[in-house]
Amino acid sequence: MKLTTQLNPQQHSRRFLLKSGATALFSFAIPPSNNAFPDQTLATANGSTDPYPIPWLDKNGSHNQPAGPNLEPSHIYHFKGRVARCSTFTGMGTDNRGNRIAFGAPTTDYGVMQGEYWAARAAQQGTFTHI
Amino acid sequence: MPEHGLTISPDGSTFTLEMQNVPVVDQPRWPSLDSVATPAKMTFKMVWKSTGDRVAYDDPHRQFRFTGFRASCQLEAQVEVPSIGFSWKSDPLEKSRADFAIMGEEANGRYYE
Repeated sequence: MKLTTQLNPQQHSRRFLLKSGATALFSFAIPPSNNAFPDQTLATANGSTDPYPIPWLDKNGSHNQPAGPNLEPSHIYHFKGRVARCSTFTGMGTDNRGNRIAFGAPTTDYGVMQGEYWAARAAQQGTFTHI
Repeated sequence: MPEHGLTISPDGSTFTLEMQNVPVVDQPRWPSLDSVATPAKMTFKMVWKSTGDRVAYDDPHRQFRFTGFRASCQLEAQVEVPSIGFSWKSDPLEKSRADFAIMGEEANGRYYE
């Protein structure tokens, strides 16, 4: 009897090997009865749906900068939509003991962004604020 | 944030951002490394109003374009830090001010053309 060794060509592809490898890895990495984070969902393989930071701010360890003339208003990269920003905020308030306490400083800034952004290789919709 | 937190007037000249009891962290000594962080809640209303003065930024190097208006921005807020029995409430919205504010439309990154 002749033994047939031909397999489906698709099963020999690199993608198939990666899929097989990932399956094998996860079967060891997540013990079914001893998972410390049972409700945690796995991130997509090509990145989460969280927005990208502004690259040159992220490079310096920051995700925002005070609003100002000719400065990038958004905190999100790969974004199109509405933006509102403000900085140099000042105001006053009162605490529960009657003390008058000011708020705001030259770097006190706020912002809101609403629209489309690109993440996880797809267009996403969202509204984000920085307070 | 929930989409309903931001309302925009029909003519687009006023943005109102309003949220209640947002979980935040009270960290008075930030950014000191030993700064103690205490859970707190914040309720606020922030209003941007266009002044009508047009603003346009376009930076091909950094790949962003903003078109919109200069604006006024005012805020009223209330903060509670229950664990230390502290609360604070701002004066009414009209009593605050920001020296710089803008509002409009932006495209950056892959949306910049």
